[in-house]
Amino acid sequence: MIDWLAFLAVLVASIVGACGVVFLFSVGLRFTGSDSRRVRPVGVLAFVLCGLLIVYGLYLIIPAFHR
Amino acid sequence: MVALVIALALLFDFTNGFHDTANAMATPIATGALKPRVAVAIAAVLNLVGAFLSTEVAKTISGGLIREGDGGVQITPVMIFAGLIGAILWNLVTWLLGLPSSSSHALFGGLIGAATVGAGFGAIDLSVLLSKIVFPAVLAPITAGLVAFLATRIAYAVTKKKQRSRFKIGQIFTSSLVSLAHGTNDAQKTMGVITLTLIAAGFQDTGSSPELWVIVVCALAIALGTYTGGWRIIRTLGRGLTEIEPAQGFAAEAATTATILASTHLGFALSTTQVASGSVIGTGIGRKGASVRWRTAGRIAIGWLITIPAAGLVGALACWVALAGPGGIIADAAVAAAVIVTIFVYSRRNRVDAASMAVANDPAALVRPKRRKSKDRANG
Repeated sequence: MIDWLAFLAVLVASIVGACGVVFLFSVGLRFTGSDSRRVRPVGVLAFVLCGLLIVYGLYLIIPAFHR
Repeated sequence: MVALVIALALLFDFTNGFHDTANAMATPIATGALKPRVAVAIAAVLNLVGAFLSTEVAKTISGGLIREGDGGVQITPVMIFAGLIGAILWNLVTWLLGLPSSSSHALFGGLIGAATVGAGFGAIDLSVLLSKIVFPAVLAPITAGLVAFLATRIAYAVTKKKQRSRFKIGQIFTSSLVSLAHGTNDAQKTMGVITLTLIAAGFQDTGSSPELWVIVVCALAIALGTYTGGWRIIRTLGRGLTEIEPAQGFAAEAATTATILASTHLGFALSTTQVASGSVIGTGIGRKGASVRWRTAGRIAIGWLITIPAAGLVGALACWVALAGPGGIIADAAVAAAVIVTIFVYSRRNRVDAASMAVANDPAALVRPKRRKSKDRANG
């Protein structure tokens, strides 16, 4: 009656998506706010990746993009 | 009759909007990432935009809960009318109590009640009720809670303390995504109701998509509702469950967004409201030193449990009266209007608005929020 497989897929996808965004944003904050200049590009890269994930979210929300 | 149903559907859309502002904007308002007025304005615009982005209207209003169509029950405008009354009244009652409850469930509940009276218990598909409403209602907050818990842990593990206030910037983006997703989903419900009513009344061909004016008025109604802001619910979600720091707000919003998107795209529908509430609780468990007020969480859970029966009861009663004839319909509308006015008048006695959402800069207010909360309750 209940589609456990679909539920599991939702659970995994949510964890990956949410933790991915939060991890990347956190890494971005950590490294761009750091005193060492060498790691700064890592932080910027993390922000960019995080932005891409957000854009992917937008893509999913707007049906015109994927139907 | 048709005009009356459309008016009620728009009123429902409005309550839907202001009920659900909290899902997206409670946490950014609570952490001060966005000023209250700005937050609801953003949410309103994104809901408006979202309503236009997607015109894929639900084919059945009840999502299969009621055996509609061939060989099933003919859903009449009278039933829709009565169902909408149930949904609107329940939405207003939960708003008065500050409970985040699902507007879709209120709509389903009202329609179920009306259909039961109008067509008997056989009209309801119980197995669909269980698999689409009851189980997801249990799973949604748990899923979102777990996701938010993990995300919160990550956020606190990776960042240093002085960096965490910058999560506020991220919150603006994640909460905007929630608003947009909300607009693409929830305005469609009202469009579906109006379109099906028009089809039932013979003004529109079966299977045709909604008229432009329907899309426009639905989008406007939900945006206006969102802008009005269900401040009571925003307070419950943003402050009542747990104290939220920017990092938590970001984690919770990311969890809400991810869970909603995953559930809509992987075919396991979850209620936005329940996901958002679960996220807030999860993030409260996730931060060391934060406490979750389980009493408030319990009240919310009870609200979810009785949403469908309560809206159903009102819907059933309204349908029973409405079936008596035109007089009954007028009586319904009059009683509903009276109750709505009463609720609004009552709510003025203990106003909660944008001004009461201002982030407290006084440290003492943050240390002892519990006392403030109980004082609020004594007043209400």
